[in-house]
Amino acid sequence: MNPLKTKELTGALQDFYLLSIHGLLGIVRKPFYFKDTIEQMDYTGSDSFLIILLVSLFIGMALSLQLSAELALLGLKMYTGRIVGFSVIREIGPVTVALVFAGRAGAGMASELGSMVLGHQVDTLRVFGVDPIKKLVTPRILSSLVMLPILTIIGDAISIFGGYYIAAFVSHQSSTFYWSSIREILTFENVFSGSIKPFIFGYLIACISCYTGLSTKGGALGLRRSTTRAVVISMIVIIVSDFIMTRILLYVLGFPV
Amino acid sequence: MIVFDKVWFAYNTRDVLKDISFTINSPEKVAILGESGEGKTTILRLILGLIRPDSGKIIIDGDDIANKTEDEFRKVRRKFSIVFQEGALFDSLNVKENVAFCLREYTKMTEEEIDKRVRDILRIVGMEEAIELMTEELSGGMHRRVAIARSLAASEPKMFLYDEPTSGLDPVNADNICRLILELSKDGRGFIIVTHKVFDAVKVADRFMFLKDGMIVFDGDKEKLITTTIPEIQLFIAELNFKSQVRAMQ
Repeated sequence: MNPLKTKELTGALQDFYLLSIHGLLGIVRKPFYFKDTIEQMDYTGSDSFLIILLVSLFIGMALSLQLSAELALLGLKMYTGRIVGFSVIREIGPVTVALVFAGRAGAGMASELGSMVLGHQVDTLRVFGVDPIKKLVTPRILSSLVMLPILTIIGDAISIFGGYYIAAFVSHQSSTFYWSSIREILTFENVFSGSIKPFIFGYLIACISCYTGLSTKGGALGLRRSTTRAVVISMIVIIVSDFIMTRILLYVLGFPV
Repeated sequence: MIVFDKVWFAYNTRDVLKDISFTINSPEKVAILGESGEGKTTILRLILGLIRPDSGKIIIDGDDIANKTEDEFRKVRRKFSIVFQEGALFDSLNVKENVAFCLREYTKMTEEEIDKRVRDILRIVGMEEAIELMTEELSGGMHRRVAIARSLAASEPKMFLYDEPTSGLDPVNADNICRLILELSKDGRGFIIVTHKVFDAVKVADRFMFLKDGMIVFDGDKEKLITTTIPEIQLFIAELNFKSQVRAMQ
């Protein structure tokens, strides 16, 4: 490998690590930028809300449709609710919402910060003695840490509802049995397994998007590159980290594999 | 006083500044001229510590700043006031919020005091009427004026740094900005203006430096600039000759 590239990559990883740590510690260190954090929550939350609603609804419906068809062949159609419930809560819900969030909010963060870099606004902050990580990165990390879990809960509920609609009105299963199956799978293990992931995903998406945005170089083309890179890297990292977390959580929570 | 002593700086593998040395005293009015990409803005960024030299010394008021930490740099930066190319206003804020940015960040002024101070500063740059406008509603000239106002609110600088303050502006607005630059330097505070518009530079500066291939190929006053035989500079000052020819025709 080219030594210059290796040096560049090492430097980039070091910068990313510093930004991630410094950005997270900024949550508990003064000064606090409440207004910026609320603005980011509004932006990341409300703007992703409708897309997540739509995506989650149709994923729940498609999942229920597939399962009903397959389980009917085995005579196990009544387990549709159970399988929809735990697959949505433990796996599909957090991952789907995180992928949508990376595409919507992550891309927004990267392009906004990128255009601030190109417009010398980040340099201006430094000249004014304001720490850009504290002012720009910490509010985005905090807003992602708050909004992604909330959006995941909403997305899970909508998916389960979508699954119910198909199970009850298309596949003609018992509504009562569907909801009692859902209640049964709402155990601590399942809920914990599904609710820890959005925090990790939110943190990773915010850090990756902010880092790629702040390292933008080279005008409009550079901005396009960094925005695309933010989304692509976030998506890969979500999928890979989901696998790693699933493996760890199954082991910690005592699920047999 | 700013001293550059054998400063080298490269972006990746491209040497932008090669063995640059000069001294600028605080009350001086200096213009750094040169083609785009010759490293003019890089000099301002080095002075402010936004980038670090690869080698050489940068001494500000007797203090070598090359190895200072980001926190230590804040003190150095407060000696300067910079207006970046195209203003670099925060586009999520309106004019008042932009100018008040540092007042809110660093002072314990009340809203009334901030409002008064912002209006006073905007009056100096002739932008009081635009106080409630968003940045996208401002013209190029207004952008620069608000940026100058914001830099005035930020600190009591010893020296102003202007990065292409008149680029992209029509002659009337460019002239207004030049007048403002001169007005602000009346109390003995000098400036460094980085530009490729030699006509504007001649209006405001007393000392001129010309960058070519990462080196300073000229450093002198207005007379020396006009009479120089360096071909690249002659190309630049052709703009001045053209204007004087037009004037003669009139």
